Amino acid sequence: MKIRHAVTIVFAVVCACGLGSQLSGIPSVDPRRVEITAKRFSFDPGVVTLKKGEPVVLVLKSNDVPHGIRVRELGLDVKVSKGGSAEARFTPNQVGDFVGHCSVFCGAGHGSMSIAFHVVN
Amino acid sequence: MVLLLAALSFCGCKAKAPTTAETRLMWGMKHKVLIGNKKLRNPLQASSLTIAEGKEAFSHYCIACHGLDGQNTGVPFADRMAPPVPSLASDEVQQYTDGQLKAVIDDGVWPSGMPASKGILSDDEIWSIVVFLRHLPKPGSLGEPEMYSH
Repeated sequence: MKIRHAVTIVFAVVCACGLGSQLSGIPSVDPRRVEITAKRFSFDPGVVTLKKGEPVVLVLKSNDVPHGIRVRELGLDVKVSKGGSAEARFTPNQVGDFVGHCSVFCGAGHGSMSIAFHVVN
Repeated sequence: MVLLLAALSFCGCKAKAPTTAETRLMWGMKHKVLIGNKKLRNPLQASSLTIAEGKEAFSHYCIACHGLDGQNTGVPFADRMAPPVPSLASDEVQQYTDGQLKAVIDDGVWPSGMPASKGILSDDEIWSIVVFLRHLPKPGSLGEPEMYSH
């Protein structure tokens, strides 16, 4: 009886280890890194194409004054300090074209400082 | 033309308070004729987030004339302009539709000191300001703009 229990335990451990090694072998989805540079009164690039469901790390850099990007539909809201860099993580969950605007007042052309996100399947 | 020049020579270019008749005439003209977009709807719903965003956008430079609360608190020249800067909580302003408020912020108002903000602020920010205007804080509750405290 003891031997039977021991065999069962060993079998369970072997199975668990095997499953564990299989799980660890599943490739994780690395977020896509998108770098955007902001300066009065434009973003570079001005158009970004993303995939629905693909996690994104957006890196926003400023070449001059504080800037930001807000896109309500994508849940994106990131602000960067003067000459600095900031990151935001998000996953687009709908297909379409979305326009973001600078979310930190940066001068006379602030209202026209925009960036387009194309989210595709 | 001669009469106009004669009137100007008496009045000069002084900024003086408008008469009741002038105020009534301009109210009617602005609300019913001059300021369009009457039927345009605000795409933003009022929420604590959009009110806060509107308050932030409003703080960029609207506060120089309208104060932090939109009711001219701490603005030393508000009643010395012609016409005076209105309280944004007043019926005169609140009776505009959301679309008209957007038009006022976009294009400014002549004759008054209200400048056009299209291009300086984004559409999204202007709509959020309209939300804020519908939910103004109590007069004086936000203090006065820092620029007038020094």
